[in-house]
Amino acid sequence: MSTTTPHRERPKRAAGPAASGVAPGGAHTKNPATNARHSQRWLAWIFLAPTILGMGLFTLIPIVASVVLAFFRWDIISAPTFVGFDNFSEVVQDPTVRVSFLNTIVFVVVAVALQLGLALALAIMVQEKMPAWLRVFFRSAFFFPLILSAASVSIFMRYLFNEQFGVVNWFLSLVGIPAVPWLTTPGGSAAVVILVYVWQNFGFSFLLFIGGLASIPVETYEAAAIDGATGWRKHLHVTLPLLSPTTLVASVMAIISALQVFDQPYVLTRGGPGDSTRTAVMVIFESAFQRLEFGQASAIGVLLTLIIMAITAAQFRLSKRFVFYQ
Amino acid sequence: MTGATNGHLREITRRTALGALGAGIIGASVASWPRLSGTDIPGRGDNSLSIAIMGTAADAAARQRAIDAFTRLHPEIRVKVQAIQAVDWKDFFTKILTMVAAGTPPDVVYVATEGAQLFAEKLAHPLDEYVRRDAADMAEFFDDVHPSLVEAFMYQGSLYQLPMDWNAANMYYNTTAFAQAGLERPADDWTHMDFRNSLAAMRKARTSDFTPYYWTNRLFGGVVPWLYANDTSFLKETRSAGGEWLWDGFYAKDPSRSLRSGGYQWLEPNANDDRVFESFDYLRGLVKDGLGVRPEEGGGSSLVGLFASNRIGTTPAGGYWVQGLHEAGMGESDFDVQFFPRWKTQRHQFGTAGYAIMKTAKDKDAAWEWIKFSSSREAMELIFPNPITTPARRSMVNEQLYAGKGPAHWKVFYDTLDRFPTTGPIPAPPQQAAVETALMKNVSLAVSGDERQLKQALASMQRDLELALRRQS
Repeated sequence: MSTTTPHRERPKRAAGPAASGVAPGGAHTKNPATNARHSQRWLAWIFLAPTILGMGLFTLIPIVASVVLAFFRWDIISAPTFVGFDNFSEVVQDPTVRVSFLNTIVFVVVAVALQLGLALALAIMVQEKMPAWLRVFFRSAFFFPLILSAASVSIFMRYLFNEQFGVVNWFLSLVGIPAVPWLTTPGGSAAVVILVYVWQNFGFSFLLFIGGLASIPVETYEAAAIDGATGWRKHLHVTLPLLSPTTLVASVMAIISALQVFDQPYVLTRGGPGDSTRTAVMVIFESAFQRLEFGQASAIGVLLTLIIMAITAAQFRLSKRFVFYQ
Repeated sequence: MTGATNGHLREITRRTALGALGAGIIGASVASWPRLSGTDIPGRGDNSLSIAIMGTAADAAARQRAIDAFTRLHPEIRVKVQAIQAVDWKDFFTKILTMVAAGTPPDVVYVATEGAQLFAEKLAHPLDEYVRRDAADMAEFFDDVHPSLVEAFMYQGSLYQLPMDWNAANMYYNTTAFAQAGLERPADDWTHMDFRNSLAAMRKARTSDFTPYYWTNRLFGGVVPWLYANDTSFLKETRSAGGEWLWDGFYAKDPSRSLRSGGYQWLEPNANDDRVFESFDYLRGLVKDGLGVRPEEGGGSSLVGLFASNRIGTTPAGGYWVQGLHEAGMGESDFDVQFFPRWKTQRHQFGTAGYAIMKTAKDKDAAWEWIKFSSSREAMELIFPNPITTPARRSMVNEQLYAGKGPAHWKVFYDTLDRFPTTGPIPAPPQQAAVETALMKNVSLAVSGDERQLKQALASMQRDLELALRRQS
């Protein structure tokens, strides 16, 4: 059965000389309301212009350029040559690219799980167990690593985790544990990269969860307590469901960020040993700025963007099942 | 005042404020346009000779005395030095290429061995015509510079740079650690086994918080010196024909004249060579027995401090290390240097650096004048007043340069070239960045596991190198 939407008509102008713009005596006048609308529209465009210009220059054009570049071979020096899908087929066949994407996926799964788990646990602890003044301290303390330069933190961590002279191994030696080759074995270096990344980034998720927890009404917990929910059952049946919108936002942002991880593995391990800590963005960087294969780098970038978009879309689709809004 | 009037006034005030804000933004944009467009960069848009060096503003300022001297000699040529900060040479070259892509390339670039062939292949202008033209002036320079350094800047028969400074991978050792282990200064022709025995003695004398052999995973001073000593390399090394014009013109009487060529070529991988395996296996043994560290990726930054605090016994480095150790508080007798240990040969590796004229240079003649002046003894003494590197001129590597800083056997630095004329540059084809990545990513795995893992790592290196060399850089 077809339905018709009622046709929306433009509001008719009120009859009368003023409305028609003709003054008594036949002279035309400007409509003040129209003038105001026009000037407001111009004003809006003026205010939007810097953002539109910035987005266009620094986001939209580079995106389009990199998609176009993915179909060319270009080394900065010579003129670009069109190669069709060659760059895509080459990067898909490149074992280093494949390994780096696999590493990135593993990294995302482990790092995001740790980041969200740690952030949630600490947020609940801080929100429930701490007095107000201490809460402020912990919020700042946990957020602090995020404002540090990832490269600086990684350089510092490289000293901490040095096998021979690092503080970490020195502490371990105090309890009789032999020196661990943190940064020179595949397992050790992957663990350090994840550890450093999570330490630096969990503060953001922590703040989101703190906000989410604060928005859960106390009455809900009181009602749950009357129903006999205490301790971890309270969090399982009340906190987690009501926090699910926050969890969705936190996980989407954490996954997008983790898929683009670069600073920590680059500074800590240069992607080694072997390819054990090489990530997708590292391969983009190496292709473009070390091998001068800007076409291939763009192709890898396009693939990574598609993966990020697919994962994010899947997250939002799945969210309909597990996100509950009050 | 009525509400309506009040509202009207408020509206006018807001409009005025917004208008003022808009005008302010436009005014600020107009006022800062030179900054936004980069036209305020000194020398941009004028005819001065722009010279790019790797370093900080302080490094650029340090060259000012040399620039002043040059200006006195050539008042018609204005010079500006652009210091570009970079993590390493690879990073520096990337930034230069970005400047090329942006249409603002420098006229002259200070390039190390790592980028010499990349520049020669794509960016640099050969110096042949200038060297020939000014042969009378240049003879004194070539007389004072070892041909090995010059040959490192030959590419397919043409000369692209004049070596200004260089460093070989010699072996530094901590004299205190040696004394504690009852070791004397090693002989000039000590072998890789003598070296291992020295490490074992040091390990026995100091069981904790001490590393007998510390090395880093990089092209210079990593695994390559061991490969060279074992008469091999991870790339097959060949020479191109040509260059007679230079060798016959300036080095006709040099005892190593017959060795000279039109430049080095690295066209094929060689990681599956038996001697490469043997060299890696030796290093793997050092790591396994606790005599040497697993080399860290991108490491080396903490090395001076660790060595100066007597926690490292030996490490490969060049003359560039002296000033750093001195500043870290080491006395001139607290450390010393010796040739790299002998294996099948005692061939050393070295890296050198010099100025290259860009193909795009506005005034190549002026650029050449700068290069020629920089190669003079006067300029080099202004540029290298301290042992932060080894000057390319033999006459400048003298007692005065190392006085009060050490090492006692500073003669080792230049003698490396004289005693071992086959000593050569680090393998750096035009695809050097990809090649270095292929090497570095497999070294740690090669020396950190069992023999099976070593073989796998070398097979992986061979594959990666094939890919790197096949690629257009």
